[in-house]
Amino acid sequence: MKIKITLFAVILFVINLSAQEKQKDSINVNELSEVTVVTATRTERALSSLPLPITIITSEAIAKSGVTRLNEILNEQTGIILIPDESGFEGIQMQGLDAAYTMILIDGVPLVGRSSGVLDLSRVSVGNIERIEIVKGASSALYGSEAMGGVINVITKRPKKDIVEGSLSYRYATFNTNDANANILWKKKKFSANLFTNFYSTDGYDLDKTTVLKNVESFYNYTIQPKLYYDFSENLKLTLSNRFYNQKMDNVALIDSEIYKGDAKENEWNSQIKFDHKWSSKLYSEYELYTTNYKNDSFLNDQNNVLYDHTYYNQWLFRPEVRTTLSINDNKLTGGIGVNYESLDRTYFDKDVKFNSQYVFIQYDYNPTKKWNILAGFRYDNHSEYASQLSPKLAINYKFNENFSLKGSVGYGYKAPDFRQLFFDFTNPSVGYTVLGYNVAEDRLIQLESEGQILKRIDGISFDEPLKAESAVNYNFGTFYKKNKLRFDVNAFYNSISNLIDTGIVAQKNNGQNVFSYFNRSKVFTYGAEFNSTYKFTNEFSVSVGYQYLIAKDKSVVDNFDDHKYIRNAELQTIEIKKSDYFGLYNRSKHTANLKVAYTIPKIKTDINLRVFYRSKYGIFDSNNNQILDKYDEFVNDYFITNLAASKNITDKLFLQAGANNLFDYKDPDQIPNLAGRQLFARIQYNF
Amino acid sequence: MKTNFLKLSILALTIFITSCSNDDDKKEDTTPAVVTTKVSNLPAPQTGGQGQTVGGAFTKFSFSENKIVTNDNWDIAFRGTTIIVNGGTKVITADADEPARTGSGAVSVVSGTFASVTAFPAAATFKADAASVYAFPSGVDAWYNYDGATHIISAKAGKVFVVKTHDGKYAKFEILSYYKDAPSNPDPATAVARYYTFNFAYQANSTTAF
Repeated sequence: MKIKITLFAVILFVINLSAQEKQKDSINVNELSEVTVVTATRTERALSSLPLPITIITSEAIAKSGVTRLNEILNEQTGIILIPDESGFEGIQMQGLDAAYTMILIDGVPLVGRSSGVLDLSRVSVGNIERIEIVKGASSALYGSEAMGGVINVITKRPKKDIVEGSLSYRYATFNTNDANANILWKKKKFSANLFTNFYSTDGYDLDKTTVLKNVESFYNYTIQPKLYYDFSENLKLTLSNRFYNQKMDNVALIDSEIYKGDAKENEWNSQIKFDHKWSSKLYSEYELYTTNYKNDSFLNDQNNVLYDHTYYNQWLFRPEVRTTLSINDNKLTGGIGVNYESLDRTYFDKDVKFNSQYVFIQYDYNPTKKWNILAGFRYDNHSEYASQLSPKLAINYKFNENFSLKGSVGYGYKAPDFRQLFFDFTNPSVGYTVLGYNVAEDRLIQLESEGQILKRIDGISFDEPLKAESAVNYNFGTFYKKNKLRFDVNAFYNSISNLIDTGIVAQKNNGQNVFSYFNRSKVFTYGAEFNSTYKFTNEFSVSVGYQYLIAKDKSVVDNFDDHKYIRNAELQTIEIKKSDYFGLYNRSKHTANLKVAYTIPKIKTDINLRVFYRSKYGIFDSNNNQILDKYDEFVNDYFITNLAASKNITDKLFLQAGANNLFDYKDPDQIPNLAGRQLFARIQYNF
Repeated sequence: MKTNFLKLSILALTIFITSCSNDDDKKEDTTPAVVTTKVSNLPAPQTGGQGQTVGGAFTKFSFSENKIVTNDNWDIAFRGTTIIVNGGTKVITADADEPARTGSGAVSVVSGTFASVTAFPAAATFKADAASVYAFPSGVDAWYNYDGATHIISAKAGKVFVVKTHDGKYAKFEILSYYKDAPSNPDPATAVARYYTFNFAYQANSTTAF
C-alpha cells in the first residue's frame, strides 16, 4: 500500500518537475488592501485596528498545506492543539481551555452536536473555505454560551463578480484515504450561487495490529453545500444557505472479550436564511433565520447478528436573530436580538428535553481619534434552565502608527450547563455505575432508594440550588509590529474560570458501585503568552515562527497543596513534594511551537511548504496517587511533527500537489492514539 | 605567638570534642535512635466480603517482638483492609473472629513522611476501638485508596499511624503495600492482595519522641 502511494507521489512530482509551462503569477495578494474580518464585531471590520487577538487562515494557506479537514488546519495554528480530552473525544484546546469552551461557526452560525462537550471538527471539509477567523478569549459578549474561550468562524466562498468558475479536485492518501471535491461558483447580475460537494473516505488506521479494534475504524462521508444569493436591489439582499453532511462509520466494540459489530451514522443539516437590508448609508440590518439538526445513530450486533446495543442522539437548534448597525461618523453601534430554541432527544435521557433562551446584545465600536479604537459591549441571555447571564466586554487598541499598535481587552465568558449535565440518566450495563444529570438526580435517587439499590447517600449533597453556568474572566494584552520584511504579534492572556462543572459521587450503590452527578466545583486559571512572527526574505522565501507558553492550574490544588504533597517513590517510601512540583492540569503542554517555511523554487515554479510542530511533555493521568499531576508523574514525551507539501500550477487550470503529513512517522500508540503515522498524499485539481 | 595559636587550637578542639560527646551521651541516655524495621508480606486473609459477612481470624502483630503473635500481647491486627488496635472494645460484638481487647492500645494519624514523624502526637488525638467505630479511620480517611476501575488498593502516601501499644509504649508505622512482594505498580490481573508490607519503628524508652 505504502509503496504504491509513494510511487504515485513520485510520479506526480516528476510530472511536476518536467512540466515547464509558464505558470500564472502566483495569486495576487494585494499587500495594500485592508484585511477585513467579521467575527470580532459581527460587522465587516478592518483587522489592523481591532483590539482583540485574531488569527486568520486564508484559503491560499489552506490550499498550500494540502490538508482536507478543519481539525487538521486548525491544529497547525499557534496556540491551538487538537487533542482528546478527558472524555476521550478529540477537540480543540485554545489558551489552555478545553474544547467545550470554543464556539465553532460556519458563516456566522454555530455547529451543534457535541459529544461530552466536544465538537468533532473533522466533520467540516476545508474544500470551499474562503478564510477562517479565530478570535481568542472570552467572546460571550457577542456569542453567548460556549464562546467562553473563543470563537472560530469558517467563512465559505461566494462569487463576488459575474462569473462561472469552479474546480474539481481529487486527493489520495495513505490509509486508502480519498477526498474528492467539486465546487461551482456562478454569478449573473442579481443571482449568484455556489454548490460545493465533498466526498471523503478512509480505511482508518490501526497503531496496534494485535488488538481487534482499530484506532479509527473505516468510514466515509459526504458534504453537499448549496448556497443561493439574490439581490433584490442594492439595498436588499437574500442569502439561502444549506449544508448537508452524512457519515457512515464501522462500529466495532470489544466487550468482555466478545466482538460486537455494527454501524455508526451521523447526519447534519444546517440552513441559514438571511436578508441584508441597507436602510440608508448609515443604517444597516441583517435578519437571519438559522436551523440546524445533528443526528447520530449507532448500533452493535453480537456474533449471532442479534442486536446488542443501540444509541441515538438528535439535537435541534432553531435561532432567529436580527442585527442592526448604525454608523455615526467613524463609529458603529451594533445591536442584536434573538431567540434560541434547542431540543435534544437521546439515549439515556428520560425524555426529549427542550431549552429556550432570549438574548440581546449591544456593541459600540468607537474611534475617538485615528489612533484609538474602543470596543465596548455586552450581551444578556435569559435562559429557561439556568440563571440569566450578563456578559460584558471592553477592548482598546492604540495605534502608534501603521506599523505598531498595542491592544488590551477584558471580557466575561460563560458556558451554560449542557443537556447531559442536567438530564443524563445512564447506568453502565457491564460495570453498574450510574451517572445522573443534575436536574433529574434527586428524583432518580429517590426512585433508586425505593428500589433498594442505594446503600447510602453522601451527606451534605443537595440539588436544591440550580447548577450554575461555568464562567470566566479573560484578559488579553498584546502588540502588533510590522517593519519592512518582518511582522510579529505578541499576546499575553489570563483566564480565571469559576464554577467549573465536575462529576462527583452522590451515593453508593449496593452493587459496590457509585452514583455520580455534576457539580460546580473547581476554579482553574490559565495564563501564558503567544508569539507569532513572519519574516519575508524574498518574495519566494518566507519563514514564520509561532510559540505559546501556557500554564493551566487548578486553584484549589494551589490553595490546598498540603492535601497532595505526599507521594511514594519507586521503593514505595513516602516523599514530600514541593508546591512548585505541581505541573498543572492534565493534557496541557507548557510549550508549543511551530516553524513554517514557504519557498517557491523559481526555476520550476513550485511551492514548497514545510511546517514543523513541537509540543512539550504533558501528563494525562496521575500515576502516583496524589490526585494531581506533579513532576514525578509519568508524562507523555515531547514530540515534533513535520508536514511537507509541494504544489505546482502546471497550467492556469491544472494544479498538482504531493506531500507528507507526519513525514518522519512519529508515533506513540499507547499515549497518543489520535496521532496516525506518516500519511503521503497526492492531489490533482482542475479549475474552470 | 606560634605556641599560643597551638594552645588555642588544642583548646578549641577539646571543647569541640567534649561538646560533641556530651551531645551523644545525652541522646543515648534518654532516647536511643529508634530502628526502622520493614515487615514484608504479612498475610491478612479474610472470608466473605462483596456483600457477604466478613469473617476469618485477624493476624495479630506485636511491635516489641517484631512478629505475629497469637496471645494477648498484640498491638495491631489485620484482616483484609481492616486494621484494629488492642485497646477499647470490640467493634463488631457479633463477630466471633474479632479478638477481645486486652490492652491499652490506641492510634493517632499523622501526616508526613515516616522519618519526619518524631514527636508523639497529643494524647487527645489517640483513639481506641469502640463499638461500631474503628480507631483506624475508614471511608475517605482510610489508609488506602481504592481504584474502582482496576480494583487496586493502594496505601495513601504521607499517612503515618502512631500506635500506643497494648502495654503503653509507642510505635509508628506506615503501610507501603497491600500486595504480595509489594510491587510498585500492582498488576490487577496478577497481584495477590491481603499481604501487608509496612515500616515500623518501636520506641521502648522515650515517652515523648521517636
